Amino acid sequence: MTAIETGAAAVPAADVATATVRDATSSARTPRPRRRRPEASRLSRVIPTSALLWLLVVVYAFPVLWFVLSSFKPGSELFSLPLHLLPQEWSFAGYQKAWSRFDFWRYFLNTGLVAVITTALAILVSAATGYALAKFRARWLSAFFLCILATTMLPTEVILPSTFVVIRDLGLYNQLAGVIVPSVITATGIFMFRQYFRTVPDELLDAARIDGAGEFSIFFRIMLPVAKPIVFTLAIFSFQWRWNDYIWPLIVLNDQKNYTLQVALRSIVGADNIDWSVLLSASVISLIPMVVLFLIFQRFIMNADINSGLKD
Amino acid sequence: MDRRGFLFAGGGLAAAAAGLTACSSGSGSGSGGGSDRPLQFLQSGDANQGGGYAAMAAKYQQQTGVKVEVVEVPNDDLDTKLRNAAQANDLPALARAGSIDPTWKDATVDLAPISDAYQIDKTLSAVDEDGKVLSLPSDLTAVGLFLNKSLFAKAKVDYPATADQTWTWDECVAAIKKVQQRTSTRYGMVMDRSSHRLKAMLFEFGSDYFNAGANGTFTTNNRTGAALDYFKSLNDDRFMPRSVWLSDADGNALFKSGDVVAYYSGCWQIADFAENIKDFDWVSTTVPKQPVRTTNYGNAASMVVFDGDQSDAALKFLDWMYKPENYTTLAETSGFLPVVPNLDVRYRSNQDAFALYNAEIAASAPIVAEQNKLSFGYQIKGLAPDGDPVRDETVKFLNDEQGLDKTISNICTQFTQSLS
Repeated sequence: MTAIETGAAAVPAADVATATVRDATSSARTPRPRRRRPEASRLSRVIPTSALLWLLVVVYAFPVLWFVLSSFKPGSELFSLPLHLLPQEWSFAGYQKAWSRFDFWRYFLNTGLVAVITTALAILVSAATGYALAKFRARWLSAFFLCILATTMLPTEVILPSTFVVIRDLGLYNQLAGVIVPSVITATGIFMFRQYFRTVPDELLDAARIDGAGEFSIFFRIMLPVAKPIVFTLAIFSFQWRWNDYIWPLIVLNDQKNYTLQVALRSIVGADNIDWSVLLSASVISLIPMVVLFLIFQRFIMNADINSGLKD
Repeated sequence: MDRRGFLFAGGGLAAAAAGLTACSSGSGSGSGGGSDRPLQFLQSGDANQGGGYAAMAAKYQQQTGVKVEVVEVPNDDLDTKLRNAAQANDLPALARAGSIDPTWKDATVDLAPISDAYQIDKTLSAVDEDGKVLSLPSDLTAVGLFLNKSLFAKAKVDYPATADQTWTWDECVAAIKKVQQRTSTRYGMVMDRSSHRLKAMLFEFGSDYFNAGANGTFTTNNRTGAALDYFKSLNDDRFMPRSVWLSDADGNALFKSGDVVAYYSGCWQIADFAENIKDFDWVSTTVPKQPVRTTNYGNAASMVVFDGDQSDAALKFLDWMYKPENYTTLAETSGFLPVVPNLDVRYRSNQDAFALYNAEIAASAPIVAEQNKLSFGYQIKGLAPDGDPVRDETVKFLNDEQGLDKTISNICTQFTQSLS
């Protein structure tokens, strides 16, 4: 953004003036064709792009629309031919069954608690670690950074048994904390913050130190606000990861009361049969909190993505 | 100041973590020993199957004051869950497991008294060398054939209407083809992509399945090849859609669409069809024989009780549940084919279909019981093939990747490597 603005400002004012005059004279002679041409070329540029974007919207939206509308079809209509997009007979039986069968409030609360706490802690820990790795000089820190990076080389499933033993011995088995604690430290988050903080000039920190700021206030009052785009990006990712997490909560949580949403939802898929109408309705219900959150935080989500893209 | 700042931050995080531990509501059931803890019963699919176990648990609590907590676990992960619970020393009081697992088989309680008291078929239980009964069958499942009754009526073609009427595979295929032709239906038949269903067909062709010889090498008789060849000839994209076996298309959905004449599946479909097929009539009929008349039946799942301070209470609950009057209620609520003999089960709907399955199980060939027993033997030893050789090699055969001989020899080799 900054680069574009500077570039535009760098165009000499004289050139702009000349161009304006030239435009004015030419439009005076043959006003219509000259005016139309840029309009036409703009349209010829805009129409295919818009069409392509609309096509993409349709491609993405159609399955979602089909999925949402199917949740309002009775079980007998889901597979009967010919298939219809709109339900022939609107039915809320699936929703009633899903709502009565699952304690959604509890699952929302459990999943929400896990997602929010993990996200908050992950941001704090990743930012603090990233700050230390970016701005402090010590040999062991580099080695430590390598160790953290190395953890990304192993898929979660590979370290699952060892993580499980650690959680069990810590007494966190069958507790929501058992789901939260291992997810707090994410190498991706630490890496994102470290790289970002490296681009913050040291002079800024030195100036703060001269003004008498301690490390604690430098971190909270300067570094964390500066890294807002990264905070939002990580928050979105972390929240989404935890909301959709399945295998780890499944293994750690033994009590139905502690189940998260995804673990509860998956139990609809039986050994040989799937209760489609309940599964569809329950899935739609499970999406609602995410959609509501998106609508509330839409502005930040868009901003976070755009800014973090440019900073690289 | 700086250091203190960091100490504060560190302290804050530690406090947050401690708070988390405190705020989570779970209390590990493995460590505490109070007898007033509810009995945890891990299972999968109860809610889908009408909530029979939940209803029984409520009734039991009413009668005895003992609370049984029926915990729903996703079916695909029930075994993983039990394995991890065993490692965490947090096994539930009892479970309805998919198979016997070496990690917890020694932690089970002998169920012989219940098995004997209610004459439950021992071939459906895991029994170790010392005669200890590790598990009881929860209920039966059996392979069966469903027909689109409306299409048969429209085409004016007959099918075996009662359990004592049978047909051969040739007669069955000819009848279905006639219906398919007269009603311009897209496909004749679908069979689930499952070795369990294919196994029934192999038995019907007179196959002895795959068995270890004295030296541990697995072999089969020549009827297996005949059955596989026949099955391949049916998978021609006209009679059977190849997509079901080759790319995992959903046979259940295809049949429900009304565009398929027959569906070779099993008794668990009855409840689903009763609720979700409204556009046409369907019917259960006898499975074809060529020349052996048999279905492939087995236990749907294995009931196990785990050692611990709650094992006596769990045994009492299980004993109560298998009592004829209680088990009848369970079977009626959940649509179970009973494992306790001589019960008068009145299903909420489709009584005929259930009766037919019971008759088919009773008329099954002895090989089914033998194979069930062998399978439990392998489970107890902790032996299991990697994946499903019968299904996977058959898929390659159907896809023309390999010939019949190669298919059979591959299956035998894989079984020899994993089960001997």
